[in-house]
Parts: sequence; C-alpha cells; structure tokens
Amino acid sequence: MEDGRAERERLTLVARKPCFGLPTACPKSLPVYIYLRFSKIPFSLEFNLIHPDSDQLPFVESGDYVAYNNEKGGVIPNLKEDGIVDLDTEVSGVPEWVSIKAMVDSWLADAVMYELWVGCDGKSAQKIYYSDLPWPIGKLLYFKQVLVVKQLLGITSDNAERREEEIYSRAALAYGALSSRLGEQSFFFDNRPTSLDAAFLGHVLFVLHALPETSVLRSKLLSHSNLVSYAENLKVEYVDANLSSSSVPQSDPSSSASKRGPSHWSSKPRSKAKREKTEEEKKFRRRAKYFLTTQLVAVLIFLSLLGGSTDTEVELGDDDDGLNYD
Amino acid sequence: MAAPPDSGPQSKEPESPNPDPEPYEEIEEDEENEEDEDFEHEEGEEPKTMTPEARIRKDRANMEALFKRLSTERVPVRVHDVIIKGNTKTKDSLIESKVEAVFRDATSFQQLLRAASVANTRLQELDIFDSVNITLDAGPPELPGTANIVIEVTEAKNPLTGDFGIYSKPEARSWSLEGSLKLKNLFGHGDLWDGSVAYGWGQTSEVSTGVSIPRFKGISTPLSARISLLSQDWLKFSSYKEQALGLSLGLLSTGNHDLSYNLSWRTLTDPSQMSSHTVRRQLGHSLVSALKYGFKIDRRDSPMRPTRGYAFVSTTQIGGLFPDLRSLRFIRQELDLRYAIPLGFYRAALNFGISGGVVFPWGNGALSAPSYLPERFFMGGNSSPVCSLRGPTSVLGFKARGLGPAEPRRLVRDNSNDGSSSDSGIDHIGGDLAVTAFADLSFDLPLRVFRDAGIHGHIFACTGSLNKLTENAYKGFSLQKFRDSFRSSAGFGVIIPTKLFRMEVNYCYILKQQEHDQGKTGVQFSFSSPL
Repeated sequence: MEDGRAERERLTLVARKPCFGLPTACPKSLPVYIYLRFSKIPFSLEFNLIHPDSDQLPFVESGDYVAYNNEKGGVIPNLKEDGIVDLDTEVSGVPEWVSIKAMVDSWLADAVMYELWVGCDGKSAQKIYYSDLPWPIGKLLYFKQVLVVKQLLGITSDNAERREEEIYSRAALAYGALSSRLGEQSFFFDNRPTSLDAAFLGHVLFVLHALPETSVLRSKLLSHSNLVSYAENLKVEYVDANLSSSSVPQSDPSSSASKRGPSHWSSKPRSKAKREKTEEEKKFRRRAKYFLTTQLVAVLIFLSLLGGSTDTEVELGDDDDGLNYD
Repeated sequence: MAAPPDSGPQSKEPESPNPDPEPYEEIEEDEENEEDEDFEHEEGEEPKTMTPEARIRKDRANMEALFKRLSTERVPVRVHDVIIKGNTKTKDSLIESKVEAVFRDATSFQQLLRAASVANTRLQELDIFDSVNITLDAGPPELPGTANIVIEVTEAKNPLTGDFGIYSKPEARSWSLEGSLKLKNLFGHGDLWDGSVAYGWGQTSEVSTGVSIPRFKGISTPLSARISLLSQDWLKFSSYKEQALGLSLGLLSTGNHDLSYNLSWRTLTDPSQMSSHTVRRQLGHSLVSALKYGFKIDRRDSPMRPTRGYAFVSTTQIGGLFPDLRSLRFIRQELDLRYAIPLGFYRAALNFGISGGVVFPWGNGALSAPSYLPERFFMGGNSSPVCSLRGPTSVLGFKARGLGPAEPRRLVRDNSNDGSSSDSGIDHIGGDLAVTAFADLSFDLPLRVFRDAGIHGHIFACTGSLNKLTENAYKGFSLQKFRDSFRSSAGFGVIIPTKLFRMEVNYCYILKQQEHDQGKTGVQFSFSSPL
C-alpha cells in the first residue's frame, strides 16, 4: 500500500499508445512528453489504451493533482500556470515567439489532424488509437472520429478539395517560415528549449515516423532538410535517451524551470465546475426536498391503502387456484 | 342399452349456456355430456306420471349421487382428441404444446378435471388471449371411455397494450419505474414484443426493446432477446457515468434455473473531471461478453413479509467469452441465503440472512490487474435486505454506495477556501469481496388498524464488509483484517407495505463504521421491491 502511494505521488504522464518507434504516437501527447523531457524533471509514463475519443488525454498527475488536456488550453499551459514547470518565462513576451507558437498550434495542428484522419488511408490512426479495443468498438469509434474531424475542419463534400489545398498550402507556408527562422540553430529562441520547440518537435517526429510515405504533408516536410535534421538531433538527445525515473533532476541555473513540487503550486483563482451555493440556499433546497418527498410518500400510502381494500377479494380468489405448475 | 356404470362421464345436469367468465373456478360445472340418447334410453322405462317436484327431487338425488361417485370412485377415462377453436392468428402448435403433456397423463376423471385447470392456467399465462374456455366433451361413440377436450380461445382484440409500474428485468441490476408498450402475438407464436423506458434507483435510465417467445419450432424453453441503451449516473458517489449499449439473450428459463448471455459495449466517462486515481485509470470503452447463470429457490411464504421458509439464490457470471480476446475477462459470483422462523405470537418472525459476493479478473496477468469498476460490489442502505435477494448490497443506516474502500478525488486549489463543500471529496470505488448479514425480528403492531393495513414493526441488526483483493491486495489480506473490516448497525422501525413496493421508516444506530464511510445515525426511509 505504501509503495502504491509513493508511486502515485510521482509525476506521471498518461498518454496514448507508443508505436512507430515513438514513446507515444498521439500528436497531442508527444509534445507534452517532449516538454517534460526538456525540463529534465523525472516522470513516469503510463498509457490509456481504451479511451481514444477522450479529450482529457493526455494528462499529467501527481498524487491528487491532475492537469487535463481540455482545461486552460492544454497540459503545458496548465503546468506553467500551476508552477510545476515553465520553460517559457523569458520568451513568452516576445511577439515573434507568440505568433510562431500560434502558427504551429493552429495551421500545423490542423494539417496533422487532416492528414491522419482524412488525407491518408487511416491505417496509422487505427494502429495508434484502436488497436487495443475490440474490433466492433474500434471500427465504430473510428468512423465517428472521422466525421468529427471533418466537422471541426469544416470539410463538406462540396469543398473537400478546396479545403485540402488550403490546409496543405498553409502547412507548406508554415514549414518555409520555420525553416528560415531556424536556420542552423538547435532551438528556435535563445538556444534553449521552449514549449514552441516541444510542440514543433512533436509535430515533426509524428509526421516523419507515424504517417505513411505516401503522405503529402510528409513530403512537404522532407523538402526542408534543416527541419529534419533539427528533429533527428533532438530526438537522439532527449527522446531516445533512457528515461530513468529515479534520476536526480540536474540543476540548470540558466534554465528558468521551476522544480517546485506540486504541493507548492501557487493558488490562482480557478473557475469551479459546479455552481457555488450559499449555505442558506443549500439548507432551503434540502428542506424543500424533504417536504416534497414526504408529500409524495403520503400520497402513495394513501392510494395504496385505499386501493388495497377493494382488491383483496380478487387476490384471495387467485390464491385459491393459483397452483404452481412449473 | 345400459351403459356400463364404470365407463364414461355420464351425467344428466342442466347445460350451462353462457360461457364462464372464470372457467378455472367453475370447471366442475362446465362438463357437458351429449350422451343424452343413452341416458334417455335408460330413463325411458320411468313412469311419466311423476309430478314436477318429484322429478326435480329425483334429478337432484341423481346428481348428488353422481358427484359423490365422481369424487370418491376412480372413473377411468382418457383423452381422445384436443380440438382448438377460436384462434385466427395463433398457431395450433403453440396451444397444443402447452396442453398436450397434461392431458396425455390424465387417466381418470378427477385427473382430467385437474389437468383442464392446469391447462387453462398455462394458456392464460401466455398473456395473448382475452379468455380461455376448456370444455370436456364425450369422445366418439365407437370408443367408450374417451373424452374430447375442446379449447376455445378468444384472442386479444387489441394487440397493443401499455403498462406502467415497478418491475425488474433479469438483465437489469436493480428495480425501476417503467413505462412500456407491448405488442402481443405479432406472428402467432405467442411472441411478445415490447419497448420500454425505465427510470430506476441509482440514477439509471434505460431505453430498451425486446421480444420473448414462449416456444419456437423445436425449442421447448422460452427464448427472449433484448436490446437496451442504459445510462447510469454515479458522479455524486464515484465520479463516473456509465453508458451501455447491450444485447442480452435469455437462453434458458425453467423453474429454478436461468441462463442468459449478455453482450454490451460499456463506456465510462467523467464529465466532472474530478475523479480519483482508480476511476481515472478505468475510464474508456470496453466490451463485456458474459454468460450468466442464476439458480433460485424461494420457499418463503411471502416475499414482502416472510414469516417462514427459506430462500437461496446463486448468480454466476463469466465474462470474456467473445472470440475477441480483448473483451473484459472476469468472474463474478453472488450468493444469498435467507431463513425465516415464525415465533407464533403477534405474527412475529425472526429473519436471518447472509449474502456474499466475489469478483476477480482472469487470464494473463490477472493477479495484478484491477477488477472492472462497474462490476465491483457497492454497499449502501437504500433497500431492505429482508425481502430483496440481490446479493450483498444493503446495510441499513449507510447512504447509497456509502460503505467500503474510498479514494480522495482530484484536488483543485481554489481562491475561495471553502471547507464545507457539498460533496465529500472522496470516491467510493467498491470492493472485490463483499459479505453482508442481518437479523430481523418483525412483529405486528398492537393497534388493529395497523394490522389490517399490513403495517408492522421490526427490530434489526446488520453488518457488512467490503474489501479489495485485486491488484495484489490479496497478498496483504488476512483473517484479522477481514474481521476488522466489518461495519455494523442496528435499529428499529415500521414497515408499510404498499402494492408497488415496501416502504420502511427506520431509526438506525451505527455501531461501527470506518473512515470515509457515510453512515448516519437517525431516521431513514428505505424502499424495496421484492424480486
């Protein structure tokens, strides 16, 4: 029991299935994994294989603290706000950084979503999301997800070709801009990893390894060799290196990553999911509930006692001849 | 010609021209014998100078003598033919299959009457006829000692009926308030189609449609199939919501045995995003393919207020039988034993009961795998253990799902530090090994008005224990720990039985509870419906 509790206190990332040589093959989970590797905080990796249509995945948990993907813009903004790990303290005010990050999070994310579910034949998506679910469930959920993606991207049968062209051209623009911004550096800004690097690296690794060779997006990416080598180098250094969960976090004075544990997160106002009720209102509602229940019960008793007296004769008659013939 | 006195049901009695509304009550008066020519022949020598009063007296004496003979002597007779009239849609084979067995075995007149009564009840049970009349007729004159059975049925004029009430289906886990539409006998095989909407305790809502066929071609046991969409909301207790789309097939349902197969796609979600660690790990989709076998004996005199007899129920469920190896694999076993001893005064009775259940996964790595969350055992005090036979689920005095292993929910730091939030901040995650036991003394109340209404009082004591065995927890499990895990409560109350359910108003005192249990000492209501 004690071991279990200690295990639960450790930072854990719950992501989707690993395949194609990647620690996790989901395009949303991979950036979070890379971000945590950048921060050099020890964490353990677990997988959820049965909930492909959940937008709560990936999530990071430690004891009773959980940072879900569908709150506050994602897991990484959550971790930053709660003070677990923040790699962007020095760049978050730079307009260029913000706009490049926005481009990666919108154009490139859309392109990956399109390519994974609509553009290619769907084999990659099946393998990542549905290979551990029983066949009928997997098939139905896959078709449902394809419809959802088409709705999200605004694709109908009329504008399918137009939208595809638009999505690919935007992706190509983005690759060009990023390629020229990166040049021969190791990171995009200040020679240190930020969440922009995590997001883009996740994207590139996914496109290179998980998408099939016939993918249009993949071929567009391959035309920028500096992006490819950027990704391969970082993969060797951060992703493929052994993930030892018991390693001591290396103190890096130049990095602004705060290594405070989750027990010291700064309390910031957070909107509660349930409405707040004042004490008086609660008491009033409870009393009203008791009152209504007692009324209903009294009516039911009255009805049954009243109805019971007229039905006794018939019941007796049935009992006489109600022989059990089974 | 003098008919041999021992053969044939001979009687001269007034024919009853109007069809009987309650045929099985008046079956003795329903015999018609058309062997008048023989009888008249015999009576032909009688002097015609008898006064009407004397004739009536003589007839009456004859009738009484005949009945005396019929009830005391053994009058051998066998059934020659079964004639079915009145069925336009219903297949003859269905009616014949229901009645031929009883009539074939009847060899004497008394047995024939009894068989007719049985057959009438069976046909009424099909629930597709408005009325059933069974008439005993004389057999063909060349075969003495035979009788013909004439079955006249009136099929239900309106095949569509609506229903509203409190029911329990074998596939459901608890009882519910249900409204249903039934379509009877669509294809003539006695098939019953129904569509229903049900709302039950445990925030359950279900939409389902099903069909039940009492006999289909060669298969003599009733078959039933049901497709249902079920939604259960456990957010308040365990932070998850369950949706299930299922198909269940009733394969065998005879007397004490019940075998059914259930295939369902279950989804657990957490829209509140507040669930605890265990629940978070179980959210997602699963396919449950399980075979369920139930064995039930209930020899108590009344399910609502048992005063004598015993009952035993065993339910076994084996999951993971679908060809697809990724369906959920588990074994679940429940046992119930009830015993009632009458005490003789004030209609008092002592009721004892013990229920137990265990669930665990099987297959590779089963020892360290967790059990499936909705299949675990949860205990609470909503219903009385005396009349419900649904496994180890109730310990009076505790709230629904208020007993057993619990885990803290997700911690959300807030600006307003409210210590008094409406929910307790813990999830009840159920257990793998459950045991409950109770002792209950029920007695009539001294006032006559209560006695007539069936209202009675009771004193009870109950205890329950819920433990986790999976995920290697069985290694640290010892007898001492098991003994320590028992919670108990005692109390007294008044039971008000109504037509639909049994309501109790109890004062419960919690004798022993553990941290995180939600037992409350005080006055509580509980509702139960006997299954």
